[in-house]
Formats: sequence, structure tokens, C-alpha cells
Amino acid sequence: MPRVTFPHMGESYRTFKMLMNDLGNEVVLPPRPSKRTLDHGVRHAPEFACFPFKILMGTYVETCLLGAEIIVTSGGVGPCRAGQYGQLHKKILLDLGYPVDIIVFEPPRLHPIDFLRNIQRLNPNRMSYRAVWDCIKRAWQKLIALDETEKITHVVRPREIVTGSTTRIYRKVLEWIDRSHSAKEIEEAHSSAVEAIKSVEQDPERKVLKVGLVGEIYVLLEPASNLEIEETLGNLGVEVERSMFLTGWTRENTFSETHETISVKDAAMPYIPLCIGGHGMESVGHTVVYAKRGFDGVIQLAPFTCIPEIVARTILTSVSKEHGIPVLTFFLDEQTGKAGMSTRLEAFVDLMKRKKWQDELPEHNAVKKGQ
Amino acid sequence: MTARVGIPSSLLYYMHYPMWHTFLTELNLDVVPSGQTNKNFLDQGVKEALADACVPVKLFFGHTLTLRDKVDYLFIPRVVCLNQKTIYCPKFLGLPDMIRYGLPDMPPIIDIQMDVREGRMALFRAYNQIGSSFGAGSLQIARAYLKALYSAARYNALMQKGWHPPEAIKAVLNPNSKDIAPTARKGDLNFAVLGYPYVVHDDYISVGLIGKLKKLGVNVITLENLPPATLARQNCDLDKIMFWTYSDLVLRASHYLFKSGQVDGIIHLTAFGCGPDSMVDKLMELTAKEYSNIPYMSLTIDEHSGDAGVSTRLEAFTDMVKRKKEV
Amino acid sequence: MKAYLGIDVGSVSTNIVVQDEAGKIHAGIYLRTMGRPIDALLTGMREVGACIPPDLEIAGAGATGSGRYLAGVMIDADVIKNEITAHAVAASMLVPDVQTVLEIGGQDSKIIIMRNGIVTDFAMNTVCAAGTGSFLDQQASRLNIPITDFGELAHSSGAPVRIAGRCTVFAESDMIHKQQMGHRLPDIINGLCEALVRNYLNNVGKGKEILSPVVFQGGVAANKGIKAAFERCLNLTVIVPEYHNIMGAIGVAQLAKEEVQKTGCTKFKGFHITGLSYRTGSFECGGCPNACEIAEIYEGDRVIGRWGARCQRWDIIN
Repeated sequence: MPRVTFPHMGESYRTFKMLMNDLGNEVVLPPRPSKRTLDHGVRHAPEFACFPFKILMGTYVETCLLGAEIIVTSGGVGPCRAGQYGQLHKKILLDLGYPVDIIVFEPPRLHPIDFLRNIQRLNPNRMSYRAVWDCIKRAWQKLIALDETEKITHVVRPREIVTGSTTRIYRKVLEWIDRSHSAKEIEEAHSSAVEAIKSVEQDPERKVLKVGLVGEIYVLLEPASNLEIEETLGNLGVEVERSMFLTGWTRENTFSETHETISVKDAAMPYIPLCIGGHGMESVGHTVVYAKRGFDGVIQLAPFTCIPEIVARTILTSVSKEHGIPVLTFFLDEQTGKAGMSTRLEAFVDLMKRKKWQDELPEHNAVKKGQ
Repeated sequence: MTARVGIPSSLLYYMHYPMWHTFLTELNLDVVPSGQTNKNFLDQGVKEALADACVPVKLFFGHTLTLRDKVDYLFIPRVVCLNQKTIYCPKFLGLPDMIRYGLPDMPPIIDIQMDVREGRMALFRAYNQIGSSFGAGSLQIARAYLKALYSAARYNALMQKGWHPPEAIKAVLNPNSKDIAPTARKGDLNFAVLGYPYVVHDDYISVGLIGKLKKLGVNVITLENLPPATLARQNCDLDKIMFWTYSDLVLRASHYLFKSGQVDGIIHLTAFGCGPDSMVDKLMELTAKEYSNIPYMSLTIDEHSGDAGVSTRLEAFTDMVKRKKEV
Repeated sequence: MKAYLGIDVGSVSTNIVVQDEAGKIHAGIYLRTMGRPIDALLTGMREVGACIPPDLEIAGAGATGSGRYLAGVMIDADVIKNEITAHAVAASMLVPDVQTVLEIGGQDSKIIIMRNGIVTDFAMNTVCAAGTGSFLDQQASRLNIPITDFGELAHSSGAPVRIAGRCTVFAESDMIHKQQMGHRLPDIINGLCEALVRNYLNNVGKGKEILSPVVFQGGVAANKGIKAAFERCLNLTVIVPEYHNIMGAIGVAQLAKEEVQKTGCTKFKGFHITGLSYRTGSFECGGCPNACEIAEIYEGDRVIGRWGARCQRWDIIN
């Protein structure tokens, strides 16, 4: 049985683990990115490679040490660097002396034959296409269950009465989803997970801020890389809406474009009329959409030296002015400290609070000014 | 009064200025380049551009700012793809937008999209659009376009003879000036300096690298001096070609030079914070390991690059190559 | 007997050696530059002039280090070489089959890869000083321990504490955190040594093939803790030469010898320069918006050297 591994991206590994197992591969689970992962990554990756590259590099080295033989990852057709990562990772790993192969999945619409060939390589038992399709369908279902569950935590967390209770329940329900296997089990796990999180004791009266998260996909999806920003924001009483989920992204890149994406593209059109690679255009478009939907602020997460996001950031300055929505950007890399980030987040939350509720508290402000 | 059109002397300037200059001049426009980079440009750019942007983008901001009050239009076309295969780095694609939304009070920006993948006549259509926007007739535009193509061809031919872009630009645009001699080849060592034209040939940001090498007795060839057709055929041992035009060229050039062995040393000049280069440099480093008979050095420059640091490295590298040759 | 003079004017120290034909060191002086390279050089030359035996004839002189041009014009050196070549030459004189040279000084660090006596690759620290001696200096003053005790203390540590952070400021906050958690001082110091080695290998050492024999030189090589950390990290024996802190000067003395063998005679002015007056001046050139800062050095009233221009306008034509 080939020993297969894949990148760690939030909770999605639970899905890929099931999928790879179902197809008849032995899975080497990627560890959650840690200090050690980064040490490996920083050591072997080019100095100015972006943060996701370094994390993936570290993850691959760690899994290679655990005996992985095949790495499965996604590609892309540019102009973002991520599309080139697979082959560079492979060259570096071979140079380090790890005999691994990397299977890069490209968008099937452009490379349908490669796509099928890659699938067959991960199908050592030569299951029928129909059986493979079933496995993928169930994996997709699980991915949706994971994403939907996560979305609910974003709503519940800022309203919880006991700090940390949402996160505690969330950890528990993830295990339920993890253990489910058949379509029916996944469905049951999904609905009971949603139930469990919704039943966390909440304060319905609490005033919460709504913040949109935009930016590059990896740092958005992997909490270890963005220093658990969603949890931190939730604990500060902010409801987070992330602009990207693996289900959303995969759908955009594999099937037809969804309605929402088109409107995001339209929203970005006056500012960036073409795709500049990565998620630069989406970052701008989502910010406009969030502003129109009355959000209190937008946080952009980008890897250090990510060009599409730098372009987006330059343009977001005027978007922020024109639409009156505060935007905070974090360029993340291995040097980013959690303490510094929390300070800036707290200040940003204060800023949004003052902006939102200053009209509601005129006397209070008057007193303050009088002092 | 003729309208003044400003072209920042940075980024695409080094590849396309002769063509753009000829085209716009033929339309009876007054073309104003921002001129050679100096400290002022860099300081302004660093102040105005996002801190996380790469040095060339900051420089471009600086060049654009100095043109702000001198011209009626800014010529910053959105160059997407010119060879059917590779596209330009994302920063080129978003360049007009970054200037428009990143800098206040800019004159109107001519940001025609140039993407040859849109059809056979796409490039001409783009130029036609530029011409029409200035109210030129179709005959005048066609004539200007042909002259521009001729300029570009002459420019490329000069560079194939070993000229470097700054000299070649001067020669193409003032055909009467005799005082500029082509790059002489007198040194005993031949180095290739690979990197993006807007870094290698910008004397200020490269800390006079090419001049320094010449002083050390080294002949320098750059990306533009290599035959494009050979480069296009060059195999880079990759599953997937580099997406970005310049990165792709640099990588192909490095493979070509490593494999043909016609130079004594290869220097890769890269700008601090350049995203594509982080990959290109690593790939070149891995290739250099295979072809260890040709010494390879990568040199990173940024807005604070000290003269001393670069000199020391160049001297050490030249010494290394010389000593190796003597043995 | 013929001997050769080697001068290394660095940012932190100015070193002078006198080495005879056979390679024996007759004088080896290590002085702090303290921001006044001319004074340091003249003081050093005076000391050297006084201590070498009278039958020793200086048959060649060379200058290296970041102040090599200054020193070069002051003494009229036969050869002015960059410090990488000088260090490589010195290391291969001592260990002929050396394959890797690690050099860590006060504010810079380099790695030189050599194969068959020839430099094949090198790197110098680029944007940050985390892999240099000043990293240790900072932390030593923070801990209030003389830097000279660092080696011994690190040696007595059982298990190093992991100090995170590339930049000195972050490392400092992490170190304070570890102190407050109650870790032993020797373990913290050993951790600092490992952090420096890790930073060095991740920055200048990145992608380099480090093979034995490894020579470790520069001021920091005196620190046993760092040597041990390198040995642990590389799993190789690391050789620290006796004159580890003046290797640059030794190398350039050797290069001067080679140069004089080619030219036949030396240009060296002699030790009497210690009696001359040197002064420096600087001005801002107004020729173009670059506004280069031009530095000059005068010997008496005569300008003997100028630096800092980006063009040829201020070159001295002899």
C-alpha cells in the first residue's frame, strides 16, 4: 500500500484521510503546523518564498520523516506562485534525499486526462470509476459538513456566555464527524454537530461586530498559520465571516462558477478589471460586498511577499475610503508574533466599536469630552 | 500645443520603450520619460508605495510621481501576455490600478490591455485604441505602428549584437549620435548577469553592478543578449513552465548558459521581496549544483543596498572565478 | 629575513600581522577599531614597528576588511583584497584540505565553501545581524555577564533551552520569558549559542554543502559554546585555529607575498607613516539629485583617496 500524505489545511485533513483510506492508500497524517514544522520549512525553503510555501515545505519534511512516499497537492495555472509549488517542493525534497513523488492535481476542466491519470495513481486496488466517484462524493459531503460546522462556530462564539465553551464543543463534534463514514453517518454527524454548537449557552442581547475575512486561501484556511485569528476575534465579541471555504474554492475551480462569485467579480471590476492571480481580485471584491452588506470591518490576511495581495492592499486603501469600511491587513510570516497581533486586533475592534456605537451613546461621549 | 505623454523609465521601459516612444512620437505626441533613477525617485517611491511591495514597484511609484506635474497623460499599458505562452508577473497586471488608487492627483492613465491571446491582431488593436483615443486617423496609426515595430526590431537586433538596453535605447532613438560605442569586449572573463531588465539595467538600484564588473575586467552579457529562439527551445527540466514572462526567460537563460558552458560565471541579481524570484533563485541554485563547473552567485539588492557589500561580493566572486581558471 | 605585512580593518577590530616567508607569525595585533580606523591603524602600526626584530624586512603589504581601501592608500599596499578571499587563503594555509570555512565576526558573518583549495561558493549575511557576534554581545549585556565568560558557562550546561526568534529583539523577549520561567542561566546561555548557530545556518549557510574539515574563525570562534553548538548541529568536528581572530590579516599577508613575487618589488611606504598626519573629510556632491556623500582622506595636504561616489566625477587620477 502506498503511503500517502497531503498538506494540512485547517480541519480538511479529516476528509482527505477518509478519501485516501477509502481508495486503498495508507495515510501518513500531516501534523498540525508547529514551531518544528516552521523550522524545517524555513531551513529548506527559499528565504522569500511565501509563508504557505514554508509551512508546506516543513509539513512535507515532517511527513517524509514519518515515511510518506506520495504527496498529493493541488496545482493551479497562475499567475500565483502556488501553481509552481509542487514541482519546486519536489526538487527540494529530492535534493534533500527523500525519495518522494508529488501528485499535483490541476483544475480538471483544463487537464481532464491528467486528472484521471492522477486519480488512478491513487487507486492501487483498481476500483471502478463508479466506486471512486462514490468515495469522492462522500468526501465532498464530509468537507461540506466540516465547513458548515465551522461557519456556525463563527456565529456562536462571539455570543457565548462561558468563554471558550464554543471551542470546546467544536473540538468534540469534529471527532464525531471524523468518525462518521457512510453517507448516512456523515449526515447524522453533521446535523448533531450543528445542534450541539447551537445549544451552547448564548447571550442573544449581546451587541456583536461583524467582520469579513479576506485574503490568500492558505493563511485563511489554516488556523495555525494565522495564529487562530477567528478564535481570537470571536473571543473579542466579533462575528467573523470568512470569504473563502475549501468547498467554495474547489467548486469555483472545478465546477461552474457560483452566483456569489460572479457578484464578487463584478464588485471588484471597477478596481481590478482582470484576474491578477492568487486571490487579489477576490479580496477587493469581497471587501466591496462586505461593505455593501453593512459589515463593520474587513481583515485581510496575506502571506508576506504575496504579490496579488500587495496589489489588492494598495487598492483596498481607496476601497476603504470610498465605502467607509475600515480594513486591517496582516502580512503573515514565521516572524509574526501572537502578542503583536492581538494588540492590533484589540485596537481594531475598539475602533470599529467606537465607529458603530458612538451615535447610540451621545451622553457618554459628551461626558468623556467634557472631562 | 501637443499633448505630453509620460512614460516612467522603469519596469517595462527597458523592453518596450523604443517601440512606445516611436509610436507615440509618430502620433505627434510629446513623449516624456522620467529619466534615469536617482535617490529622489527611490525616496519618493518608498514613501508612497506599500512597505511590503518589492523594490521595483516602489521605484515605479517614484518614477510616476516625478512625472505627475510634467505631463498630461501617463502611459502605463496593462501588459498581460506578448508571446502566447507566459504572462507578466501579477504586479504588471495590476500596475495601472495600483497607480490610480495608490497615488493622489494623477493625470489620466492610458491603460490599454495588451494580451496577444485575445486574437491574431490583438496587439495592433491595442495600439489602434491608443491612437484613436488621441484622435489619430487610421492611416496615421497604421504608419506609426509599422515604424514602432521597426524600432523594436532594430532595438532587439542591437541587443543581439551585445548592446545593453540603456545604450541600445539611445542608439535607436537618435540614429545620428555617433558617440555611443557598443559594449566592448576586452576583459578576460565572461560573466552572465541574469535578472529582470528593470533591476539589472537600472544603474541606481543595481548599485552600478555592470560598471563594477567591467572595472574588474569582466565582460557582461545579460538576458537580452541571448538569442530568443534558442531560449524558447531550452529545456528547463520542469514539469510546468514558469508562468511569468521574465522569470521564465531568466530560468531558460540560466539553463542555456549552464548547459552550453559559454560563460565563466553566472550572477543572479534579484530584488528583495520579489515573489517569483524566490522560486527562480532556488531552481537556479539546484541547477548550479548539477553544473558545478560554472560558479554561481545570487545577489539580493534592496532600497538600502550598500555599495560596499555589493563590491565585496563581486570582488570575491571574480577572485574565485579567476583562481579557479588559473588552476 | 623577508616578511609580509597584513592589515585587516574591520568594523569592529583592526588587526595587523607580520608573517615571514616560512609562515611564522612575528607580530599579531588585535585592536578595537572603535569607529576611528585611522587612529587604530596608526596605533597598530606603531606597535608592530616597535616589536618586530630589526633584521626583518617588510617585502610586501596587503589590506583587507571593510576599511581596505582606506588602509590601502595609507600604507600603499601591494594588494587590496576583499575579506572573503583573504579568509579563504588563510584557512587553506592552515588546513590545506579545508572544505568549509565558517567566519563569524562582530557585525558580519560569512561561509566559504572550498573544494581542492579553491573557493567554489560563499555567502555573507544580508539583511540582519542575528547570525553574528553582536547578537551574543546584546544578550550578554542584557544578562550582565561578560561575553568572555559565555563559553565557559555554556560548557557547564546540561540541556540548552530553546530560544526562539531570528531578530535580536524577539530573541531577547523570548530569553526574558525563559528566565522568568526559572531556567538555569548556563542552559539559557547555551540556548543562545544554539540560536546563533541556527540563525547562521539558516541565513548564510542556507543551501550550502558543509563538508569536513570545517574551520571556524573570526572573533566569535573564541567562544567554546558556539564551537560546541556547531559541532552538535553539523555533527562534524570543527577546527578553531590558534590565530582565529586575525585570520583575515594572515590571509592578505600571504596574498601580498604572492603579489610581490609577480611584480618583483613592494610599494609599501614603511613604518614612518605613523609619523605623518592623516585626516578625513566629507562633503555632499551637488552634481545630481543622487547627492552622494563623498569621503576623502588627506595625507598632510594631499588627497590620497576618495569614496562614496556613484559616478567617476571624483575619481583621483594619478
